[in-house]
Amino acid sequence: MEAPAGIPARQAPPKRRLPGSSAFGGRSEKGIAQVLVTPGQLLLLFLIGFPAGVAIYISFTNYTATTGYPWYDAYKGWIWFDNYWEALSSGGFWSSIWRTLLVSVLAVGIEFALGLILAFLFLREFRARGILMVVFLLPMMVVPAVTGFIFYMIFQTSGPLNAALTFIFDTVLGITGPIHIPWLSDPSIAIYSVIMADIWQWTPLMFLIFLSGLVALPEDQMNQARILGAGFWHQLRYLVLPMMKPIILIALIIRSIEVFKIFDSDWLLTRGGPGDATTTISVYLYRQINENYRYGYASAAAIIVLIMVSAFAIRAIRPIEAAQEETFEELIKPEDGGEELHIEDAIATEAQV
Amino acid sequence: MQGRSTLKGIGRAAAIILLGALFLFPLYWMVTMSFKPQEEWNPVGKTIWWPQNPTLDNFKQVLGMTSQNTQFFQASNTDATQPIIHSFIAAGGGTILALIAGVLAAYGIARFRAGGRMLPFQILQLRMFPPVAIIIPLLIMLAYIHLFDTFWGLWLVYAAVTFAFVVWLMRSFFQELPREIGEAAIVDGCSQWGAFFKAVLPNVKGGLAATALFVFILNWSDFLIALVLTTGKTMTAPVFLNSLQSAAAGQEYGPQAALGLILILPPAILGFAIQRYLVRGLTFGAIKR
Repeated sequence: MEAPAGIPARQAPPKRRLPGSSAFGGRSEKGIAQVLVTPGQLLLLFLIGFPAGVAIYISFTNYTATTGYPWYDAYKGWIWFDNYWEALSSGGFWSSIWRTLLVSVLAVGIEFALGLILAFLFLREFRARGILMVVFLLPMMVVPAVTGFIFYMIFQTSGPLNAALTFIFDTVLGITGPIHIPWLSDPSIAIYSVIMADIWQWTPLMFLIFLSGLVALPEDQMNQARILGAGFWHQLRYLVLPMMKPIILIALIIRSIEVFKIFDSDWLLTRGGPGDATTTISVYLYRQINENYRYGYASAAAIIVLIMVSAFAIRAIRPIEAAQEETFEELIKPEDGGEELHIEDAIATEAQV
Repeated sequence: MQGRSTLKGIGRAAAIILLGALFLFPLYWMVTMSFKPQEEWNPVGKTIWWPQNPTLDNFKQVLGMTSQNTQFFQASNTDATQPIIHSFIAAGGGTILALIAGVLAAYGIARFRAGGRMLPFQILQLRMFPPVAIIIPLLIMLAYIHLFDTFWGLWLVYAAVTFAFVVWLMRSFFQELPREIGEAAIVDGCSQWGAFFKAVLPNVKGGLAATALFVFILNWSDFLIALVLTTGKTMTAPVFLNSLQSAAAGQEYGPQAALGLILILPPAILGFAIQRYLVRGLTFGAIKR
């Protein structure tokens, strides 16, 4: 990754506002600012604000797609909080939430580890590095629905994965018979197949983020540590990870957000089944809409999910915002004063342990 | 020392090759599948690792260039050309709308602190919600104003969904630009609008292009929104792929793989064109290289 060319160096944004005056083109700055954000605000009002109102309204009714009256008459089936109580006491709703959390934790955790390993493998120049990078970045570009289809083929019981496993463990090693793992049809396995597809697709993002972080680490500090005799694990623990912390945090947050919404690959892979074994929260809501047509109930369930996500989102935004305010180099440089890294101390401490 | 580092090099090469094979295999399987004739798709009792009788028949069927001989295509009497065109129109229009609204808002936020500190937060927060959670009211609303299964319906929803990306990405590009560029133009007699279009925008055109391609990839990759909000008239290619999968006719692996390959070509090509902006894009501009 070469340094972005053609982009002028960023300058610190001025703290003070420019005096808003007619000298700047006839309008006050505040007026200009309002004009600039108006199209966006209208878009969000139309497509977020209004639907949010409709969703809250519908969620208090027993409205369904097959109810005989238009949506604005939904009050005829007003049932107060019944939908909410039903969702909150529904086993299907909660199990889909837990399942989504399981997918998130496992997928993001493994993507993190694999991405970091790959980033270290690719840190130094070697032959064919460029072309091999492409191999590892390709999955990220694949349309998620296509990912679902690809793994649908691969995970067939008579498919290539079982054939390859049979070849390795039966033909070559001779320790098992032919392998017929029901990757998609066994309820206790299917969820891990969904997770594997996500890992394949999104490890590349972690890899790319971590590689750009590692490349930017200050060279002299690393060399200094090496000269002082710090081994790989020392460097990792006391230098690399602490300095990369903001980047790691952002990568984890963004992947967690995205994987929580998982739908496309899951749907093409298993349609949430067998039974509800791979029904994540998005699949659960979609099934309520598409199979049961229960708009009122699905709206209530969706609002509960939105409230849960908001609690996480408010915290999760801060590191992203903080990173936008600084440049990348500032981000990974040890802060002045308090958090200065003392390599010698760190190594000495570790040596005593 | 020499021996040890050679050993390390071999270990690293082995690890990269092994992982590389694992990461490449799924794509390899789809690409080779798209050239396999029907009897090689999933034969009982054996695995065809390489097409024995490679054929373009799958592509021809998907693109409607041949008489359609698999059951699904015969039953549905349609091919994927229309859905592919729909995908281009839907993703392109959504991208343009998102750019118009998003670039202006980003400039307002970056340069004039429009909306104070909270507005960018709120915009980003929207991105964290599962789209399926707002899809019911969108469905109801679009049906009510007769935009269900229309391109305008898709464009508006795509624009709203990718708006956050445009705002945060463009904001990071505007912030990198020296403020003096706009001010100098104003001193030279430009209005605020003139300064924006003549001085500021030309200086971020690289970022603008990257943002446009990035948002296009996002829209192109959408499945869920089009699945709920379109039927026949504007059905996009991923939804069509899904209908192939669910066809009672059976597993149309070959045509599906051909369509899958066609579907991933635009994002793969565009993705590598904007490779150095990918991380920035996918992290909402937080990580800038």
